[in-house]
Amino acid sequence: MIKVQGGIGVKSYIGKRIATGILTIIFSFCITFFLIRYAPGNPMKVLAGTDNPNLELIEHLTIKYGLDKPIPVQFVNYVKNILKGDLGHSYMSNEPVTKLIKEKVFPTILLTLTSSILAVVVGTFLGVYAARKVGTIFDRVMCGISYFIDATPGFWLGLIFILIFASTFKILPTSGMYDLRIEKQGFAHVLDVIKHMILPVSTLTIIQIPLYFRISRSSVLQTMSEDFIMTLRATGMKESQIFNKYVLRNAIIPTITMFSLSLAFTISGVALIEIVFAWPGMGRLIMDAIMKRDYPLLTGIYLTISISICIVMIITDIVYAIVDPRIRLE
Amino acid sequence: MIENSQQMLKAINSIKELKVGIILLMILIGIAVFAPLIATHDPYVLNDEMIAKPSSKYIFGTDGLGRDVFSMVVYGSRTSLKIGIIAAAISSVIGTLIGGVAGYMGGKVDKVISEIINMFLMLPTFFLILIVVAIYGSSLSNIIIVIGLTSWTGTARLMRAQAISLRERTFIKSAKTIGESEMGILFKHIIPNGIFPIIADSTMSVSSAILSEAGLSFIGLGDPNVVSWGQIIAHGKGYLTRGWWICTFSGLAIVFTVISFYLIGEGMNHILSPKLNKIK
Amino acid sequence: MSLLEINNLNVEYRVEGKNIKAVKDVSLDIGVQDSIGIVGESGSGKSTLAMAILKLLPANITEITGEIIFDGVDLLKISEDELRKIRWKDIAVVFQKSMNSLSPVHKIGFQMSDIYKVHKPKASDREVKERILELFDLVNLSERVFDLYPHELSGGMMQRVSIALSLIYFPRLLILDEATTALDVVTQGQILDEIMKLEEKLHLTRIMITHDVSVVSSTCKKVAVMYAGCLLESGYVSDVLTKPKHPYTEGLLNSYPSLKGERKNLRGIPGTLPDLSISHRGCIFADRCKKATEICFNEEPKMMEFDNNWNVACHLVGGADCD
Repeated sequence: MIKVQGGIGVKSYIGKRIATGILTIIFSFCITFFLIRYAPGNPMKVLAGTDNPNLELIEHLTIKYGLDKPIPVQFVNYVKNILKGDLGHSYMSNEPVTKLIKEKVFPTILLTLTSSILAVVVGTFLGVYAARKVGTIFDRVMCGISYFIDATPGFWLGLIFILIFASTFKILPTSGMYDLRIEKQGFAHVLDVIKHMILPVSTLTIIQIPLYFRISRSSVLQTMSEDFIMTLRATGMKESQIFNKYVLRNAIIPTITMFSLSLAFTISGVALIEIVFAWPGMGRLIMDAIMKRDYPLLTGIYLTISISICIVMIITDIVYAIVDPRIRLE
Repeated sequence: MIENSQQMLKAINSIKELKVGIILLMILIGIAVFAPLIATHDPYVLNDEMIAKPSSKYIFGTDGLGRDVFSMVVYGSRTSLKIGIIAAAISSVIGTLIGGVAGYMGGKVDKVISEIINMFLMLPTFFLILIVVAIYGSSLSNIIIVIGLTSWTGTARLMRAQAISLRERTFIKSAKTIGESEMGILFKHIIPNGIFPIIADSTMSVSSAILSEAGLSFIGLGDPNVVSWGQIIAHGKGYLTRGWWICTFSGLAIVFTVISFYLIGEGMNHILSPKLNKIK
Repeated sequence: MSLLEINNLNVEYRVEGKNIKAVKDVSLDIGVQDSIGIVGESGSGKSTLAMAILKLLPANITEITGEIIFDGVDLLKISEDELRKIRWKDIAVVFQKSMNSLSPVHKIGFQMSDIYKVHKPKASDREVKERILELFDLVNLSERVFDLYPHELSGGMMQRVSIALSLIYFPRLLILDEATTALDVVTQGQILDEIMKLEEKLHLTRIMITHDVSVVSSTCKKVAVMYAGCLLESGYVSDVLTKPKHPYTEGLLNSYPSLKGERKNLRGIPGTLPDLSISHRGCIFADRCKKATEICFNEEPKMMEFDNNWNVACHLVGGADCD
């Protein structure tokens, strides 16, 4: 009746998740590639300029970027290049896609990581506290607030924040990642960036908090009604010990799952916020690429985002398997 | 199971959230349907007064081009409701079918479908929607279809769980022994019996569809031929300091709409799981 | 001297505006090293009675009156801190749904050690592990179980873990609440055997709560029959279960087929439990009783005591002289 050892179970679980991840990347990549290629409109025309595009110029560009070849051939070429680490060149700026992405990746990661971590910590803390004080005014007010925030579009909240804090009270900058007028070095630069980060990070964090609040609250409530809590109480264990050692450890599990599930959603939120705050990250890059039909850039960015999401999801799944021994069985 | 409408009304009345949510929704639908009567101006007309403050003439003020914000918000309700409900309907149908088949059939079919669902969860769907809309055109129907085609995973998982628990029930087994076909059982018994939580969940789908469309319009990928709240906000961004009313009221409209659907969904969930009620 | 004296215990739940009387005026005496089985249908109040002893019922919706005197101390009147000292050390419980009776994300050994340290916080790790392994041995569990998680064990093994856990301080009173109901008959038999051996070895007093009369008749000395919160009959198993005085007990016994004797038709007790939230006039069982007479519907029967600690609450027995 004794089942699998811990080690073997975890490895196969992770293995499966990685396999799913790879499949997803391949799948999403194929979708985007073919969607984009079969789209109406010729990027070359857009690139060559709208008035009286020189036919020869168009032809030249088409051949240069290999768009005259049949699409399956294009696909194979592209895949070959990716495996070499070459994501092609952007139509708009003629720079390598990898270089463009590298430049913009850090600001986006900065926003995403900071806000996600803050949201998880604050949201979970509030949710646990609300669960302990269930039914009180605090609990009910917090639940109500979480509804409102959930119903609020992130980009709108960002605008309202700019309105209040940047325009009316003028205590925080309206946009950008750092002061473009004065060039700061070292620590002053870091401070400047932080100052610029406050509003976008706040917006992103607040938008995500209701999710973690609700999950942790309902999870704690659920756990407290489980049978083993009754057993522990019957043994004379103090409530505080029961809560801190046993309830929390059990209740934290859904939060981890939620973090993993909400990633894809968070990324889209970040992109919109970047636009609102003119934050020089991937969000803006993708918007430009879409407008200008910059296929290589577009595909490259989508690939990068997919891979990043996959990696983070897999890491989260590993954490989940460590925390919850039951999962290792499957 | 709730059988007649009297019982249903009683149930609705007993749950605060549901009551409030439905009232709000009624107001919303009323506004959308009677928009021409409620709106004070034609939302497309460029009046002379631009960036006018809210007043008795222009209840929510005017935007940078002189359009009456109040009327735009009123007409915008049509767009949002249309998109929300139709997109949610599409994703719910797809999700129910896929989830139902996966849960009921089990075995390999289930494994494959579950993998697909997992994959979809990993996709950054918003970007996918962006790309599709940007490239294939931003008409309302395109937007609705794309949102519907990418948001079915939540419903699928729910329906799958329902199907799995239902298929072990005796009445299903007896239907099988009688000789009903698999498809018949799926459509006549499994889906109708598992549908209630799906309906509660679909309100979430409506909310997320409305928010997605708002995001699209904000970037400029919305349908330019209709009035949409996200669009108003996008326009208002440029006049943030001079005309705060443009963004504010359109955003509040979104919040109001989404909340009403959330309340309905929460209320329905309360009917379904009274255990949670006791905890509250 | 009784180890546990329950006097006029009443337990009421306040739920959704209704007052549900789960236990009505129950009095029981349990002596040292007694083994008593409390039987009744689901909803008879037997579990509530057991939970009330250790005050494990949700405090905000429960109202308890009466006395529960354990070794001279009224458990209902002492403070929470003092009660906590008694919990598990002197009185322990084995619950029904054992699969979920321990935290699923902590190892069994870890939890049992933690529980041991509740009353003996200064114990060394070695001492704790020794005691736990000693208990495992008592209940026929392998040492390996110490490092396993609850989901890695079968139902029967988890039940044994629960029993081992309940004995961790060698308590004086052990309450088994439907402890073997979820098990298959063979495992149930094994576990009951082990429990009875332990009882002798550890001088335990045991209360068994079950709906299964056959378990009580084969493992307990005394029995108490409950119905809809009321105690109907109590006494020695050799008396009550062979020549039941109360019609309900009789009906219960008739629901079980016997291995020996002539074949009879199985007869259940027709009808359903009464609504516990409304006051009842007369005998609580009158509606379903075949032998009910007029007085049964009008006056509540008092508990009458017969020889050999045999108590029955029925108008048909012990005369109709109730006030």
